[in-house]
Amino acid sequence: MKHILLLCLTVLSGFASAVAGKVPLASHDIVPKNGGDLLVSSQMVENILDYQKYGDLFTYLQAHYFRAIFLGILIGVFIVFLLHYLIVGAKSFSHSGKKVLVYSIFKRVIHWTAALAFVVIIPTGLIMVFGKELGGGTFVLYARELHAIFTVVFIVSIFPMLLFWFVDMLPTWYDIKWVFMAGGYLSKKVTEVPAGKFNAGQKMWFWVATLGGMVMIMTGAAMYFQSFDFGIASSLGLTQIDLLRAAAIVHNIFAFAVLALFITHLYMSLFAIKGSLDSMVSGYKSEDELKYMHSVFYKKLKKEGKI
Amino acid sequence: MSIEMSRMKFYCDDDRCIDCDGCTVACAEAHELPVGVSRRKVVTLNEGVEGKEFSTSVACMHCTDAPCEQVCPVDCFYIREDGIVLHDKDICIGCGYCLYACPFGAPQFPRDGAFGSKGAMDKCTMCAGGPLETNSIEERELYGLNLISEGKVPVCAAMCSTKALIVGDAQDVANIYRTRIAARGKGVQGAPYGWSTAYGK
Repeated sequence: MKHILLLCLTVLSGFASAVAGKVPLASHDIVPKNGGDLLVSSQMVENILDYQKYGDLFTYLQAHYFRAIFLGILIGVFIVFLLHYLIVGAKSFSHSGKKVLVYSIFKRVIHWTAALAFVVIIPTGLIMVFGKELGGGTFVLYARELHAIFTVVFIVSIFPMLLFWFVDMLPTWYDIKWVFMAGGYLSKKVTEVPAGKFNAGQKMWFWVATLGGMVMIMTGAAMYFQSFDFGIASSLGLTQIDLLRAAAIVHNIFAFAVLALFITHLYMSLFAIKGSLDSMVSGYKSEDELKYMHSVFYKKLKKEGKI
Repeated sequence: MSIEMSRMKFYCDDDRCIDCDGCTVACAEAHELPVGVSRRKVVTLNEGVEGKEFSTSVACMHCTDAPCEQVCPVDCFYIREDGIVLHDKDICIGCGYCLYACPFGAPQFPRDGAFGSKGAMDKCTMCAGGPLETNSIEERELYGLNLISEGKVPVCAAMCSTKALIVGDAQDVANIYRTRIAARGKGVQGAPYGWSTAYGK
């Protein structure tokens, strides 16, 4: 399992591996091989290793991979979208036609509360990841505190978001089709793409942000409070320190997905589709945009006579 | 005294340690540590098991491949030429990664930050202070006494009544250790646990 994970991370890190840590963790023999009365008896070594389930894995990943992968995601996603913008370009739709209310005021408030949380949490998280380059100290320390404080804002928004968007975000069969045609984003031609109120990409982001967000909250809180006892560690057969190590590993891995999809979401709403930001401000989408980008939803509205 | 300087190391002889906690108390008092911060701890393993129970004193082992130094996101650790692993509390953000990486539970986090979070990390300095001006009031307040700069022995080892806990140049410590093993007629000729690297299987 550990090796599979490492393999995946190696592949993920890709071209960014050049910036990975330079210090290799040598596999020294610390447990004396010959038996008898050991200087530090075997019991102690076993005891320490028991408390060390994820110690070396965490050290290895943090020292060599996590920063490199974050950098790879930042650069990689940026380059992909820059190329997309230059080659395929933004899609624009006529906003002169009829407008349809798609986001109620309540949902917009939830969205922007979550947005506020993300806009603070993600950059402050990255400041901590690249704390070395930023010199550490007060600046990074404040980033860490903000990271924690805005988690409260995130918690406030995540539950209503999960509850009120739940049905619209359930996966459907035409989502597969959407994924295979990459949402129509790879061609300049405006064609009807199969999507309900939310397309497969939005759904992906939604589930990573909500369910993944919950994992982030729980693992983050564990690391923030360090010492707590809700019987979680013992129920998993871990020591508290190993629970924290596992939390740190999971927090970083989920952060890869959250970061990548957050940048994607920003690009799509700010650049890829002109005027889509307005729809989350006013709540209205143009009929033209719905017809092509959310064709299933559009047909349903038409059938119901709402347009 | 060896001409070639190697690394400063701690070694606790669990054959001699009597679980008196003298090292812990000496450390806490000398460095005026707040309650809840234990730079050094005495642990007893196999408690109550006849013939197998033993105690040993654990603190920062000043590892050669210091995992704390490798994982620190803000790079606040630095390793002196004599091998003593120290850190800069003005750079530390108290994230706890060093604690996750440490095989000995050495990093300590005083509960004094905002919103109940933990402040900058604190750990054994082998009585060598920190990056601030040697023997200044600031250094003493943040990192505790700097005895190494005065050529003195760290308080824990100085206090140890059975001389179970010894500290010094690794070669010198290894010589004492070898002599003791030879006298006892049992034991292993090898580097003590944690001396070469922190991790390994």
